[in-house]
Amino acid sequence: MDELTLLRNTRDDLEGVSSSALDRGRAALLDHVAESFPVLATRTRRRRRRTAATLASVAAVALGTTLVLTDVVGFAGWRGGADPAAAAALDDASRAAIESEDPVLARGQFLRLEESAVNVGWWPASSDPGEESSVAVFTATESDLYIPADTADAWVWLRPLARTYGAGDRASNEIADAVQSSNVAEVGAEHVERLRAPGGRWYGEPAASRADFDALPRDPYRLLNFVYRQQLGSNPASPDQVAFQYFSDQLRGGLVPADLRAAMFDALAMIPGVVFADGAANLDGRTGTAIGRVDQDIRWDILIDPSSGRFLGERQVLLEAVGNLAAGATLSWTAVTTSVVDAAPTGGTPYGDLEGVTVG
Amino acid sequence: VSADSEVIGRSAGEPAAFVLIYDRHAPTVHRYAARRVGVHVADDVMSETFLVAFEGRAKYDLGVPDARPWLLGIATRVMRKHTRLEARAWKGMTAEIAASISPDLIEQASARVDAERATRRLETALRGLSRADRDTLLLYAWGDLDYAGIAQSLGVPIGTVRSRLNRARRRLREATGRQGEQEREHGRTDPAAQHA
Repeated sequence: MDELTLLRNTRDDLEGVSSSALDRGRAALLDHVAESFPVLATRTRRRRRRTAATLASVAAVALGTTLVLTDVVGFAGWRGGADPAAAAALDDASRAAIESEDPVLARGQFLRLEESAVNVGWWPASSDPGEESSVAVFTATESDLYIPADTADAWVWLRPLARTYGAGDRASNEIADAVQSSNVAEVGAEHVERLRAPGGRWYGEPAASRADFDALPRDPYRLLNFVYRQQLGSNPASPDQVAFQYFSDQLRGGLVPADLRAAMFDALAMIPGVVFADGAANLDGRTGTAIGRVDQDIRWDILIDPSSGRFLGERQVLLEAVGNLAAGATLSWTAVTTSVVDAAPTGGTPYGDLEGVTVG
Repeated sequence: VSADSEVIGRSAGEPAAFVLIYDRHAPTVHRYAARRVGVHVADDVMSETFLVAFEGRAKYDLGVPDARPWLLGIATRVMRKHTRLEARAWKGMTAEIAASISPDLIEQASARVDAERATRRLETALRGLSRADRDTLLLYAWGDLDYAGIAQSLGVPIGTVRSRLNRARRRLREATGRQGEQEREHGRTDPAAQHA
């Protein structure tokens, strides 16, 4: 679902106003009216009764009973796996990754993560909240993140103004143009948000450390079972799709150590439905091998360089026309580049706090 | 049934008529406020909103039949002193939404996100919005106003509403969807935490 649907459904089951609160508010208003104007016709108070909101039912996921906590026995490995070409590319990438070395940061240095991304947003075709049809509008973002050698130190994050553009059709282009020109008018085309947060605690969210990767199994079979078990019930997509996206998400972060990256490539080869999508896929100027998995009308690809074991990015390709987008359209993509640098930009809003809320 | 504008016009000479506006819209104002600051504070916000509205009724634009945007705009301003409470109220969102989202709502293939994880991040995303963007977004999502209504409500041009909504939605999307994963993985790599 899109972010608005999510927000709308949030707190949808709150209880309505109580009749006593309604009465109190009404009495306060009447008092106020009476104070302003001494002569006041009395009205009979109406009592309102609100029916209690019904709670949405929770769907239980029954799959859990078949899985075992040790990850030695689990969902992985006995239901097939990737097609042969995908498995071969992933095997190459895994071998290359295990032989590669992670960048080592000296004290005072930073790991720089540069990311380019395009995301699709679905806009109502008109401003009426009841509008059912939506059009796709794209937003391109650039992100430049500096992670200090000691991750408890201050991280710095540069976020330039995003660029919104249409899908080529009139409705989409018009929305995008209006949004873009309005954004530029408000903050200026050169606007760059600069954030600074010890431990990377952006907007106050508690940080976790890279040490969390240490806890993950390096045996691909156990790793995959671990992921199946951890992600169980967390997503309405199939467990295989959830696992595929889990690895894609982790790899996109750019911080997965080489030995774990190798295990992830091997684990991906064990997921049913994983296919060789494209041997020369181009993503923002980077060329690599696309390994994909189809879920409903979308193929989720990760782009890897099998010869170096590097993760290049990921994308989602639409397989059937939806709204104003044709089959074959790329819905969204992310490309990441990591490097080691000696300095990070100075300054930045602490924790990204904005007006009104203090982050502790 | 007379339009709100008619009733408000009448209340200039017949103040008690304003109570009809309360009877019509108090539950809507409460509902919007409850989502933002919690049910208990919403009782006070609702009450105060109508006191402020009553005081300001002479300034109401009688050309606007529906008083909802005006009232929700007042409620929005009344709630500004409750920003801390608002942040606290959002903390409770996670459990609620996890229980209330059903898989068949997942219709936009491009935005298939893990509802549970996504909700946990909503609070953070909302906190990261500027006040103007947040008010715009929540009037749209929780106040059920259209762009024109929000423009009336906050006294800004429709183009500004569109722009603010775009920015707020992008932030939410980043937090709840794919790109949010990226942001999260910058600092958060614990798979167990994602499951929580």
